[in-house]
Amino acid sequence: MNRMLKPALFVLAVVAALGVTAWRLYRAAQPAELALYFHPFVGPAPLVLNQPRYQNPGGEGRFKVRDFQFFLSNIRLVGVAGAFVEPDSYHLVRFDGDDPAFVIVLHHVPRRNYERIEFGIGVDAAANRSLAQRGELDPNGRMAWNWEVGYKFVLFEGSLLRGNASAPLVYHVGFAENYRLISSTLHRGLLDRGLARLDFRVDILSLFQGPTNIDMAALPSVKFERSDAALLARNFAALVTPMWPDPAAGPNQRHSNNR
Amino acid sequence: MFRLRLAVVAAALIAGLLAAMVTGGCRKPRRAATPLTGFSAPFVFGRFQVPADNPLTVESVELGRRLFYDPRLSANGRVSCSTCHIQRLAFTDGRTTGVGVSGRPLAFNSMSLANLMWGPQRFFWNGRAASLEEQALVPLQHADEMAQDLKRLVRQLADDALYRKLFETTYGEISSSTIARALASFVRTLVSCNSRYDQFLRGEITLDAQEELGRKLFMAHPDVKVSLRGANCIDCHSQFLTSGSSARYDGFSNNGLDDEAHLQSGLQAVTGDPAHRGLFKVPSLRNIAITAPYMHDGRFKTLEEVLDHYDSGIKNSSTLSPLIVEADNKGGAAAGRISLHLTAGEKAAIIAFMHTLTDRDFVTAERFSDPFARK
Repeated sequence: MNRMLKPALFVLAVVAALGVTAWRLYRAAQPAELALYFHPFVGPAPLVLNQPRYQNPGGEGRFKVRDFQFFLSNIRLVGVAGAFVEPDSYHLVRFDGDDPAFVIVLHHVPRRNYERIEFGIGVDAAANRSLAQRGELDPNGRMAWNWEVGYKFVLFEGSLLRGNASAPLVYHVGFAENYRLISSTLHRGLLDRGLARLDFRVDILSLFQGPTNIDMAALPSVKFERSDAALLARNFAALVTPMWPDPAAGPNQRHSNNR
Repeated sequence: MFRLRLAVVAAALIAGLLAAMVTGGCRKPRRAATPLTGFSAPFVFGRFQVPADNPLTVESVELGRRLFYDPRLSANGRVSCSTCHIQRLAFTDGRTTGVGVSGRPLAFNSMSLANLMWGPQRFFWNGRAASLEEQALVPLQHADEMAQDLKRLVRQLADDALYRKLFETTYGEISSSTIARALASFVRTLVSCNSRYDQFLRGEITLDAQEELGRKLFMAHPDVKVSLRGANCIDCHSQFLTSGSSARYDGFSNNGLDDEAHLQSGLQAVTGDPAHRGLFKVPSLRNIAITAPYMHDGRFKTLEEVLDHYDSGIKNSSTLSPLIVEADNKGGAAAGRISLHLTAGEKAAIIAFMHTLTDRDFVTAERFSDPFARK
């Protein structure tokens, strides 16, 4: 009995080892899914819609956010071995108060080592001129101005409360020149795990911050005046920032940045 | 020996499974319905979706058309869908609010039925139905509208040899679900896309100067900083469809009809969200010149009254859109008074543009007409 069991066990072990190796090779060849989470903030505070919680960044009063949406386009993962380019990559990131974060899932991502993730805030010039419904671009949607003007890239609608007075806030920022590419450095081994994800902070307040903060009472709306639009767009790079520690930073900083 | 027996059992099991897969799900054989080929819509309307479990077929559309015009769908045999949705009036009824079997006026104005595969995919003024199939059975059973009992209706239709044949070919059975699917199929084909505005979009005609001014005003949110005059219609009524947007609840809006104290629940009745109080579905403006009276309660008799409302009759409330409050061609929005400050000429131009949305083909097309009518 014992004499027969030993070779059987040996064969079983070899088969198991081969199986595990084959499974690993198979899995490495399988494309991954990568989830991008966008968490809305107003400065340090998480976004809560329809409540006048937030201080006017450049003046008196408090503001509330009724709607906030923006286009995030042309997502790419870039590595030495090649890039992953999401097809028809036009996403309308929106916060409606029912989910704590907005999620974009990238499908069929080849498992390589990617060094950075890139995407645009807004809509690139070619797509902005087009009536084609690529991704979530919709000429009959709320983000469309009209076919002569193109899309709003960022939409913020709300109101400013000063004393008992309430004034509407309408910030519609568009125009091809305000399209911005954003790049964030990635950690190695991002796609090794089964459920890969990246978390981004979306800070609405960043649109109004600069060398001098914008007083919402003095500038309650931004629409077609190009210099106004450029004023809000100058901070698009700070609108969406990675929530993971910068791989280039030292270990101490890594801890303090980790939320 | 044991192994052999195992293999036999396994083979039998697999064969059994395969047999079940082949025969299962396949009920009594019937002639397949004919897919509706050649159905198309303008590129600028954008994508549309037909539910996978209710494809458009020649038979489903024809059956739906028959049901739409059949007064047997009501308890007293006198009211059909077409009682409140008259083709000549772009499938409205000309009344302030609809009137059905009870004779009591309904709470809402009868909506036009055009291009319903685009724009908000929730139906009724407050969005309480999530599909056209779901929508179809509501007026059928409503005590004031058609007050029909669905089981009774299924029996009545089963007594009719033609309906038996049509349902058999189309869906294989008569049920409340197949009645709803047929009605939804017909309604999906009600596409209005040959108005003068459509012809203009296709580059076939030009608009006259007044219509063109109206179009420009319709399509612009005013901005005094760049001397852009506008009536901000497009903020809610999309540029090509002239309906609300399709994404989530973007196609619902509080357009300033009532002040805070008189605000109706609207979309809040469906979502429970206080931010949705007083929001109603933004309708398509296709054929708007022939679908008076206007608004969810039919309170405005003419387009002039509608324009006066948007220009200077807006009532403020907590859920009123900031886009309406802020839109002012004089740039005085912060002063507290809400007004577009349009000129009389501008209002007339916008109305002239709205007349270009009338589609004569749509309101006369044979395929949308009463199949019971004597020719």
